[in-house]
Amino acid sequence: MKARDAIDVLARHRGEAVAVCALGMAANEWWAATKSEDSFYMHGAMGFAASFALGLALSLPQVPVWLINADGSLCMNLGCLLTEASQAASNLKHFVVANGVYQTVGGLPMVNDGRTDYAAMARAAGFQRARTIETLDDLEQQLPAIAAEDGPSLTVLRVEPETGFLRTPPMTYEGPEMKYRFGRALERRFGIEVFGPQGY
Amino acid sequence: MDVTARIHEQLTKCGIKIAASLPDDWVAPLIERIAADNQIRHVRVAREAEAIAICSGAFFGGVRSVALMGATGLLTCTGELATLNLRHQIPVFLIVSQRGSIDDHRIYQEVQGRRTLPLLQAYDFPYHIVDRPDEVSSIPDAFETCRMQKRPFVLFLTRRLVKGEGTA
Repeated sequence: MKARDAIDVLARHRGEAVAVCALGMAANEWWAATKSEDSFYMHGAMGFAASFALGLALSLPQVPVWLINADGSLCMNLGCLLTEASQAASNLKHFVVANGVYQTVGGLPMVNDGRTDYAAMARAAGFQRARTIETLDDLEQQLPAIAAEDGPSLTVLRVEPETGFLRTPPMTYEGPEMKYRFGRALERRFGIEVFGPQGY
Repeated sequence: MDVTARIHEQLTKCGIKIAASLPDDWVAPLIERIAADNQIRHVRVAREAEAIAICSGAFFGGVRSVALMGATGLLTCTGELATLNLRHQIPVFLIVSQRGSIDDHRIYQEVQGRRTLPLLQAYDFPYHIVDRPDEVSSIPDAFETCRMQKRPFVLFLTRRLVKGEGTA
């Protein structure tokens, strides 16, 4: 399974979900597939997209929040699994695109090369629902049920490592503009106030 | 009213609905007081930067939040404060113990005492030091300043404030 194909399937089944993407490959592929402004694309804080997504999910409990994480980012902050499990946000779905390499910096292998079972780690941390999906057919078949089930859940998408520097380019806006596009998109969609009357 | 009750009252006045925390012994009583408040969602984290990112996500949900931690924890999350909050101009309000002060006789806090404020100044993160109970009422102004300046804002609690006079 290739990352782009797996992300395309997620994008098609996204429904009303707001997405938070870890920086690098996950964010770039999600942007390529969705061009969505009601998604937040991390540009830093590697390892903490999970925590950002949790804060968003707790703030908007009626809104499905999908975290598009990657194995390199997850491993920067495995403690996030404990926090997610303990908070039990039913609207939060955690997807881990796992290619076993740091793809956007040249495909160098990750620590523990191919031997880590992230779904088992999530279960051990207290997730009731965690699984690994290896093929596109399985992903197509299982995703509707995953989207419909209560969170928190963790779904590992085992994808092939690919070579090439920045194979998929990042989104075309950044920094403060991303903040305002994302915040304004959520204000429009959910009638909430992210920014005050003077715009900050 | 004791000082943790005063701080809690001011946070409520700010409209805080989410608090994410990892304790040191100076902020622990405040954290437990907030944890007992069913109007505030309290999130215990495994690393301080999680609290930073949780509060950042909450900002986009339109929910006001606070991150509570010790000074050592603050030092561990400077990378995330820079690459998430400075990068995207996301405000995050932190309440942090001001460890390593002259009345804090803990050898493992001495570097925090010497380098924390210069580090914040280097990043251009605003901060405010609360040293006496009657200064706790500055919290709503500090919170508003945090939002206006669109970056991390650290509200430090001194040892004298949280532990009283004397040294330890």
